[in-house]
Amino acid sequence: MNPLLYALDVLVFIGIFGIVSLSLNLEYGFAGLANFGKVAFFLTGAYSYAALSQIGLPFYLCLICGAMISAIFGWLISLPALRLRADYLAIVALAFGEILRLIVKAERGIAGGVWGITVAPIFPYTGSELIYRLENIGLVSICLFICFLIAQLLSNSPYGRAIRAIREDEIAAEALGKDRAKYKAQIFMLASAMAGLAGGLYAQYLQFIDPYMFMPMITFTVWIMVILGGPANNWGALLGAALVELFERGTNIAKDYLALPVDPGNLQYIMFGVLIIFVLLYRPQGILKESHVKTKALELAGYGRSTAEDKRG
Amino acid sequence: MIVNWPQVLFNSVVTGSLYLIGAVGLTLTYGLSNFPNFAHAEFITLGAFISYGVAHQLELSLLPALIITFLITGAIGFLCYRGIFQPLARGGANMIHLMVASIALGFILRYSIGAAWSWKPLYFSNVWPLSSLWSHHDIGLLSITNLWLWLIFAAVALSVIMHLILVKTKIGKAIRATSSNPELALASGININRVIWLTWFIGAGLAAIAGIFRGADTQIWPMTGWDIILPVFAVAILGGIGNYYGSIAAAYIIGLAENIGVIALLAVGLSTEYRVGIAFLILIVTLIAKPQGLAMLFRKA
Repeated sequence: MNPLLYALDVLVFIGIFGIVSLSLNLEYGFAGLANFGKVAFFLTGAYSYAALSQIGLPFYLCLICGAMISAIFGWLISLPALRLRADYLAIVALAFGEILRLIVKAERGIAGGVWGITVAPIFPYTGSELIYRLENIGLVSICLFICFLIAQLLSNSPYGRAIRAIREDEIAAEALGKDRAKYKAQIFMLASAMAGLAGGLYAQYLQFIDPYMFMPMITFTVWIMVILGGPANNWGALLGAALVELFERGTNIAKDYLALPVDPGNLQYIMFGVLIIFVLLYRPQGILKESHVKTKALELAGYGRSTAEDKRG
Repeated sequence: MIVNWPQVLFNSVVTGSLYLIGAVGLTLTYGLSNFPNFAHAEFITLGAFISYGVAHQLELSLLPALIITFLITGAIGFLCYRGIFQPLARGGANMIHLMVASIALGFILRYSIGAAWSWKPLYFSNVWPLSSLWSHHDIGLLSITNLWLWLIFAAVALSVIMHLILVKTKIGKAIRATSSNPELALASGININRVIWLTWFIGAGLAAIAGIFRGADTQIWPMTGWDIILPVFAVAILGGIGNYYGSIAAAYIIGLAENIGVIALLAVGLSTEYRVGIAFLILIVTLIAKPQGLAMLFRKA
């Protein structure tokens, strides 16, 4: 296969999963919410895109509506999330994702059931694979940039500080007048919308979706991205997405050139597992750690210097 | 639609027995270590593969294979806790870190299994070709196999033995004490670590037995455990985490719900693929409505 085309394909995937990774980082990194059902919102976006593009909506509306439908599902999951402990939320989200997958698998009317469905691409195929991929990179980059900008602005804003405060100590934050229910619901909705957008991009890029593309494995891969890159650091989420994607592709290529005693397809996930356990044991903050809170008030009070030094170091 | 109710009830008992054996270990380790071990699925899978391996190599029948598998998988479960979760918990990892670590451990085990054996399904009927385990025989309206009878027997034996251990023996009392109040248990001179280690050993061993039965009833492949992990979680949670008696009741409730649910699904014209969804639904509803599960019915236990 043409190496240039392959590299472009990898970039599209990094972009799409970068968006999902950013969205999980908002939930887990900043707000401390353990969403083990991330794939559910990715699936919602993909299937919404497929269904809406079939009735002839223009692509941007398909993407936006897909994101909005995912946001509604995110809001639904946030309702119990307010009352649930981290472990209960994780299990509920995981089961929710499996139920959604079960529905699209069993109901042939929605999108072909187990056989899947072809999805119309945004950029009509003109005969050149190169142009098709470049167009997609352009679109995915724009979406990624918007999501990154939102995440970055949020995390450095008073709003971002409020959700971090809720992550650290819910009761203290509530005592300071921060409505944790509202904040959690909003973060879930925003993050789910991002995942839904990524799902739409994914469906139209691959031009085909079926229920087996949305296994819980996707969720865990995105968790690896966030834990590895550095929770509560948006650059970390992107770095994690890139590293995991490159590593996956690398092992797939290695399969063709190396004669290993272990099938690289298996080895890749064994190494992911070992890597995550080492990260959790020896560097739980990930490759890029969370940056300090910076505000005018802290600088005036004389804390500015120490945070600046920390950043350099 | 004519429904063979005795068969439905019998199937419910079979399903419930499988989930019970799978869930007891999960509920005990969850209660003691305070996080859900998602790699429990891989303990189930390991059980199926190890028993297949030993039965194949040593030409063992069901019972000796079962005992050896229990011991090997139990030892693996202990090592996993000792090597991964204990250092993490000591280092101050929070619950989410422990959950992620358990998923990472699950990856390691699942894909190691895939590498060591294969992703192609294996069947116990290759190992025990002449066995009478799978032959159906009819008793009145019921169609049953010896495997199912063994499964029910194993679940009943497990229930009785675990009950006796928890109530009569010193170690059982230590497990219950540590589960309900670790600080107080420590202050009373209980070696908490040893209690937790033993629980992980027993928990993984029991999961392995569930894996043997599941593998013998269907097929053995690296996802054998994942195929039933959510119903097993549903049992642990409906029963009340860490509550042994609650999980017995929950296992049979969910077994019944699944088997009656299939009939209901057929009656309303929905796909029977939704069968697995029944347990998920019970899981979600329990967690949202009453996270303590049936434990309130067994407060003394």
